[in-house]
Amino acid sequence: MIQVDNISFAFAAQPIFKDLSFSVRKGEILSLLGPNGCGKSTLLRLLRGHLKVQSGSILWDSEPIEAISTRKMALKVAMVPQSVHMTFPYTVAEVVAMGRYPHRRNILSFSRASDQKAINHALAMTDIVGLVDRPVTQLSGGELQRVFLARALAQNAEVLFLDEATSHLDIDHRLEFSRLLLRLNREQGTTIVQISHDIDLAAAISQRMLLLTEHGETAGIGKPHEVITEENIRRIFHVDVKIENNPFSGTPQIHPLLNTSVHQFRELKIHLICGGGSGKTILRKLHLAAAELTVGPLNHGDSDESVASALDIPMAEESPFRPYSRAVLDKTWQMIAHAEIVIIATSWWGTGNLDCLKLAHRALKQEKKVYLVNPQKTNDYTKGEAWEQICRLKNDGAVVVEREEALLEMLKKDHACSEKCATASRRFLPHRVLPKA
Amino acid sequence: MNNFLHAKRRWFQLLMLVVLPGLAFFFSLSAGSLDIPPEKLLSILQQGPGDNIEQTIIWQIRLPRSFLAALVGCALSLSGVTFQAVLRNPLADPYLLGVSGGAALGAVIALTCGLQSTLMLPLAAFIGALSALLLVYLVARAHTCTTHTLILSGVMVGSLAAALLLFLLWRAPSEASRQAVFWLAGNLSLADPGWVSWGWLWVAGGFVLLWMLAPHLDLLTQGDETAEDLGLDVGRSRLIFFAVAGALTSCAVALTGLVGFVGLVIPHICRLIWGPGHRRLIPLSALFGGCFLMLADALARSIYAPAEIPVGVVTALLGAPFFLYLLRRKGAGV
Repeated sequence: MIQVDNISFAFAAQPIFKDLSFSVRKGEILSLLGPNGCGKSTLLRLLRGHLKVQSGSILWDSEPIEAISTRKMALKVAMVPQSVHMTFPYTVAEVVAMGRYPHRRNILSFSRASDQKAINHALAMTDIVGLVDRPVTQLSGGELQRVFLARALAQNAEVLFLDEATSHLDIDHRLEFSRLLLRLNREQGTTIVQISHDIDLAAAISQRMLLLTEHGETAGIGKPHEVITEENIRRIFHVDVKIENNPFSGTPQIHPLLNTSVHQFRELKIHLICGGGSGKTILRKLHLAAAELTVGPLNHGDSDESVASALDIPMAEESPFRPYSRAVLDKTWQMIAHAEIVIIATSWWGTGNLDCLKLAHRALKQEKKVYLVNPQKTNDYTKGEAWEQICRLKNDGAVVVEREEALLEMLKKDHACSEKCATASRRFLPHRVLPKA
Repeated sequence: MNNFLHAKRRWFQLLMLVVLPGLAFFFSLSAGSLDIPPEKLLSILQQGPGDNIEQTIIWQIRLPRSFLAALVGCALSLSGVTFQAVLRNPLADPYLLGVSGGAALGAVIALTCGLQSTLMLPLAAFIGALSALLLVYLVARAHTCTTHTLILSGVMVGSLAAALLLFLLWRAPSEASRQAVFWLAGNLSLADPGWVSWGWLWVAGGFVLLWMLAPHLDLLTQGDETAEDLGLDVGRSRLIFFAVAGALTSCAVALTGLVGFVGLVIPHICRLIWGPGHRRLIPLSALFGGCFLMLADALARSIYAPAEIPVGVVTALLGAPFFLYLLRRKGAGV
């Protein structure tokens, strides 16, 4: 559809692109990503022909862009611009009708029945039928963006360019907008090239993505999961994020690592015994509070295990669905020996994890603090053996925490963070990379 | 109910479109140093031209003059509408591109050279205006004619012309310079009636062209890139509009000197009432511009009759307060 070959472009002395090549395929949704100022909008303007490349070539259906007339270009591609200031109070209907201009062939540019049909269709698709008589100068940013989209739809072109067209939209209209783009793409085969700052949403609807570096070079082009990687995001945007797949759509999703914790357990060495999802919230909270965590034993594939490995927490790990082996239990014990505090968050007890309680007892004997998070007799599937050991732990001084939410408060009370560590540098990201024990 | 009100308002507006020009025309014919009452006016108009003194006044003097006023009002407000749309600035006016300076310079050169004939003066002013326009274009073309360079070079050419003008006035004999000042303030009595029909042809041509290209003006108000996105050859159509608007202004200035405020205020009022769509705005501005200047001229003739105040003074006195009121009510984005 659009072939970009070795283009170079500079504003005065400021080079933007050098030898950039890629292509836009017919019928795809391609998202352009990159840090502010990397030239995404400039690239779109180059593709549209508003700016001329200084070297290289841009071909539309193997025709050089310079050779295509303005009107023919408007029939090929419609543009949804960033929100702009409107000077004159045109009504919404008038602005949307402007989208039909390239289709008007008569010298007086009078509209025809087909024009009116396309306009009504566009108004309905973008949910602005109720706004038709309103002056555009009185609309909100989001309403204006929908008007621009309607104008582009009325243009009825085979390619749609969107320059941050959803930046002012509420979530309902943003999703509606995406749904509309998908529908246009699937039903009418519209090729869509968009600039978006909503990486998650862009990844969800795009077939391919083009990631630009701040120097206008290609950092990656391909399917969303190939482009949206932790490595790429760190390299281009200089932030640490976690990327997981959206459980619903399977598309990559970015999780920013913001420390929202109000607690500080810096340098407090804690070992967590958990499993089956009982420990993931505690893991996350303690991680954000900057505690020096270790965890285990855990089977590979356990949901607690995936959280721990996502957070790079040192862990004693067993193969899936196997009882804990001697080696893993030994490793766990080394971790416990290294820790000051042991937290037992396991909910269900069976023959498989009974050994953990023994380890806890050993820890207690070595005068380590042991916390039991909400132990329930009904969750004992070892015919009473586990419960018996839990009771013994209690008698020997293990602290029972009734609710998981109260754990951090209790830890804070028992191990008040020293003056030194409270004033320790406030780290934005508690991202510690410890050597895996 | 709402529909009914809407329809009623429409009818009222349509009625206004017929009644207002008629009234303005009538008033313009009957006002002046010799008051001619309406019923007498009707009979004179029915009788046709004749030797009677009142017939002579109406047919030989006032009728051409009303036509001239209408013509200049039309031309200026058409050019105002165009400039405001192309420059996307509701405060633009027809004299923006140095046309006024050029025309004034041409006229004053003619005056100081002793060419006082009513035939030569408009021609000199017209040539001056067009040369200024050409100079502006040639300067701006070096930078692909963006609106900014056009405005800047327009202002510069205007200042250059103004400096030369002052120099000439300083050197000129006092009679010529008095006449020049009168011309600079706008004066409808200078034009030779023979020029009026030519002027009308010129303005009619400009009007037809602008009305045909009205959707292009709509697109240009949306910004250059958007206009191009929608398939408009922006550079070319902007040039056409500047040329047409410049030519209309030149024509008006050549015939009557610098009549201010019509080109600024009339498009505003029309936009306020009928919205910014140029298919409607262009004919309405032309109509109301013509009416406004006919009325202003009638006032200029009758307030101090038999003396006559420059019409530019009346338009400014009527226009400026109204404009201030609009600014206060709606802000600059009217």
